[in-house]
Amino acid sequence: MKRKNPLRRRIFREIMGDKGKYLVIFILMIATISFISGYLVADGSMIKAYKDSFKKYKVEDGHFVTEEALTKVAKRHIEKEGVRLYNLSYVEKEATLGATVRMYSMRTTVNLACLMEGAYPAKQGEIAIDRMFADNNQLSVGDYLTFGAEKYKITGLVALPDYSALFENSNDTMFDAMKFGVAVVNRDEFLALSKEKRTNCYSWQWLEASKNEKEEKTRCDALMKVVNGQVELTDYVPRIMNQAINFTGEDLGNDRAMMIVLFYIIMIILAFVFALTTSNTIEKEAGVIGTLKASGFTARELISHYLVAPTFVTLISAVIGNILGYTVLKGVCVDMYYGSYSLPTYVTVWNLEAFVLTTIVPILMMLCIHLFLLSRKMRLSPLLFLRRDLSRKKKKRAANLSPAIPFFSRFRLRVLLQNRFHYVVLFLGIMISYLLLMFGMMLPSILDHYQNKIQENMFCKYQYLLKMPPSLNTDEFSMDTLFRYMKFAKGVQTKHKQAEKFSAYTLQTYEPNVMAEDILIYGLEPKSKYVPLDLSKDDVVITRAYAQKFSLKTGDRIRLKEKYEDTRYSFRITGILPYDTGLYVFMSRSHLNKVFDLGDDMFGGYFSNEKLTDLDEDYVGSIIDLDALTKVCRQLKLSMGELMYLVDVFAMLIFVVMIYILSKTIIEKNAQSISMAKILGYSGKEIARLYLMPTSFVVIGSMILSLPICDRGIRYIWQEMMKSKMKGWLPVYMDFSVYGKMLLLGIVAYGVVALLEMRKISKVPMDLALKNAE
Amino acid sequence: MFLELKNLKKHFGEGDSRVDVLNGIELEMEKGEFCVLLGPSGSGKSTLLNIVGGIDRASEGSIVIAGEQTQGMNEKQLTMYRRKHLGYVFQMYNLIPNLTVQENIEVGAYLSEHPLPVEEIMTTLGLYDQRKKLPNQLSGGQQQRCAIGRAIVKNPDILLCDEPTGALDYNTSKEILKLIETVNQKYGNTVLMVTHNDAIRLMADRVLRLRDGRIRDNIKNTEKKRAEELEW
Repeated sequence: MKRKNPLRRRIFREIMGDKGKYLVIFILMIATISFISGYLVADGSMIKAYKDSFKKYKVEDGHFVTEEALTKVAKRHIEKEGVRLYNLSYVEKEATLGATVRMYSMRTTVNLACLMEGAYPAKQGEIAIDRMFADNNQLSVGDYLTFGAEKYKITGLVALPDYSALFENSNDTMFDAMKFGVAVVNRDEFLALSKEKRTNCYSWQWLEASKNEKEEKTRCDALMKVVNGQVELTDYVPRIMNQAINFTGEDLGNDRAMMIVLFYIIMIILAFVFALTTSNTIEKEAGVIGTLKASGFTARELISHYLVAPTFVTLISAVIGNILGYTVLKGVCVDMYYGSYSLPTYVTVWNLEAFVLTTIVPILMMLCIHLFLLSRKMRLSPLLFLRRDLSRKKKKRAANLSPAIPFFSRFRLRVLLQNRFHYVVLFLGIMISYLLLMFGMMLPSILDHYQNKIQENMFCKYQYLLKMPPSLNTDEFSMDTLFRYMKFAKGVQTKHKQAEKFSAYTLQTYEPNVMAEDILIYGLEPKSKYVPLDLSKDDVVITRAYAQKFSLKTGDRIRLKEKYEDTRYSFRITGILPYDTGLYVFMSRSHLNKVFDLGDDMFGGYFSNEKLTDLDEDYVGSIIDLDALTKVCRQLKLSMGELMYLVDVFAMLIFVVMIYILSKTIIEKNAQSISMAKILGYSGKEIARLYLMPTSFVVIGSMILSLPICDRGIRYIWQEMMKSKMKGWLPVYMDFSVYGKMLLLGIVAYGVVALLEMRKISKVPMDLALKNAE
Repeated sequence: MFLELKNLKKHFGEGDSRVDVLNGIELEMEKGEFCVLLGPSGSGKSTLLNIVGGIDRASEGSIVIAGEQTQGMNEKQLTMYRRKHLGYVFQMYNLIPNLTVQENIEVGAYLSEHPLPVEEIMTTLGLYDQRKKLPNQLSGGQQQRCAIGRAIVKNPDILLCDEPTGALDYNTSKEILKLIETVNQKYGNTVLMVTHNDAIRLMADRVLRLRDGRIRDNIKNTEKKRAEELEW
């Protein structure tokens, strides 16, 4: 029987004998794998939960709001169009904590609630509120939600599938889950509430689903006309246009590609670091390997032997990482999703891709990089191993260093040159961790800057975007329609002198590789008081944010299309407005009205520095004020706060591990020289100066050099991310203090590592030099 | 003949920087013969040993061991040749630091299809009581004994020893020589030993003196001494 290779017995001892090195690599690998595994599993599970929710919770195909409640006859007439209608009326109340709560009766037929915690309200005075709204306002089951003098006991936390993103209005630029929430109460409570002011809302579901979005749009338009013929519409929102339903789906899984790339980068760096330590072991064991080779061990046997430790560590890390990923980290990532969206409960879904990515791929990476290194090394003859001459290159002469350079400096330079490959990897490691750290630290500074910029850039204190009731969107001319027109025309007039009319029209971008984006086109009055532009007849000006996002300049053409339609427009840019926080197009009002055939007198809203109190609320689609504009910052801070913190911790972990392993490797490599220096009488401090100072120079130098490189890199990455992954434009901004904080963190982390290494130097025995001397 | 070297030449470099290390070595050795290679530093002793051991290549000439021609073998064939025929002992013991004495010897045994019993080797080498110790718990002599054990456990045709006593004191050196002698007699391996120590020639069957890459003397020792009788 073939004897088992006795070398395998040293694997475990080798790992245990260098616990420090293996432990830190192990921890970093587990951290990386568990985070990515957790993220991918959470992502897959949440996407499935979101997609399944449409069927499971019977999500509507759209809804409309009417002035008056639908009569039975009208309902029957509309349902002849192949839809089923459900009454989903609601009541809105201002909660004492400063938020609007939209209350529904318990849903039994459509848009069913998902109970996340507690119980549904069983009697009057009880309420089940949206889980995310509750979290953001620190409310939990058993607490009371007050509306002035009224008090509701919170019996449960729910997720409503038609509010997975808590948009108050589908026209809103962003949702604010702190200031707007939804809730359900029992039927009796709702009937009592309805006596005040109830919004007549009806959801519909097609009896037969549309084949595609285009058909859906056509059917929705046709249905709107039918509804219009039956009742006065105040709002009409097909599901395909409902941000409260679709926004979450569009955002879920968006970070996936970025996460996977990040994972690959970290794993490659780790594999290189591991390969360097293996290379060091081979150099240390050159004599043994030479003897084994001379005795007849084949290169393959030795390669296999040296492959076992990295493969084993990676495999164990992958197993533990995946277990942690599926248990702890999945929860962390799920919490991040729950922090952003009001998603229903989920079931953890086994994710084959996550398994392959976090188990097979790291092992393959580790194997490939090690195989490359080992096969190069093990091809060397036994004699070269016995002579400890493992350099594949022909011997070069030592670098000529001027004797004028003081001895210690020359010595340090030699250490630097001798370990240049280690230092290159160290530099790359520091750069990657700094890139991550900068990303984590930059986010709050970007959001703060965005908030400040919004304030600076505001055209006026209030922008009123008017909303023509869907009931006017009809081809039929009747007395009733005429009356509604007159009412609308009167309702949108103001006597406030500060008010300035503008026209507005929304189109969508369709650039390749960039997420489709809604663009608001303003039609301005000549010599506008609010927007610093004096536009002539054919001028088309875009904001700087627009220009940056789509890499446009004056003279280029912007291409836009009608949403869900094929009508396309192209405009030549005649100027760029230095405005960084929104994607807008400006043209003269008359030009806009003409291009979109709106009629000469048509306008879409008002700019004003004072509140316009005389506008009919029913015709105000949205009011854009500071609060509305900064919603995105609040939401991002809420949803990404935990992620930013995680990224910071993770970056520092990589930073410390990288420096620790590589400086340890350098010291181990020089252990014999250090030992000899001790014999010669050099003090521990002097030896540290010789062997630690070069590493210190490289670490500090790498940190300083990494700052501008990472700065440029992160700006590029951010811009690309904004282009391809996010709607809108958050201009990249780095607060100067970020650099200072990063340097400080880096120095403190290195200080700790340097202390550990000094201890290591002090422990190098003096007889090492004598024992290993040939 | 068990080992035949014919017109073996080795040089390093080319042109002006060419150095001829071996200049036409001719040698024949019987199976089980104990041969000592003597000569000053730079005479080519270690190079000759390395070429015979298949870890270096000759520039010219041929080597035949047990009927196998090694010139022209590729790396893989050379490895198999070493695995099958050779055992190596160096001045540096080169033991695997995290394997015990027994395990280090088993490393050698793994390479052979018909290894000698490890326990017997350990007993012969006087290492049985130390078998569970790691190399750093052993003296220099014990480590070298372990290295010899690793080399002979695979029962090689030729045991190549490169200054095996170079790093050892007088008494330990004698111990090691006694062991090599025992091994040679007990297992019948051919031994080729490079040494600076002139006294060791007395225990050899054949003594070769090298200078400037040539064999100056090739003497058959008729009045062989036992290792324990050696003095220097």
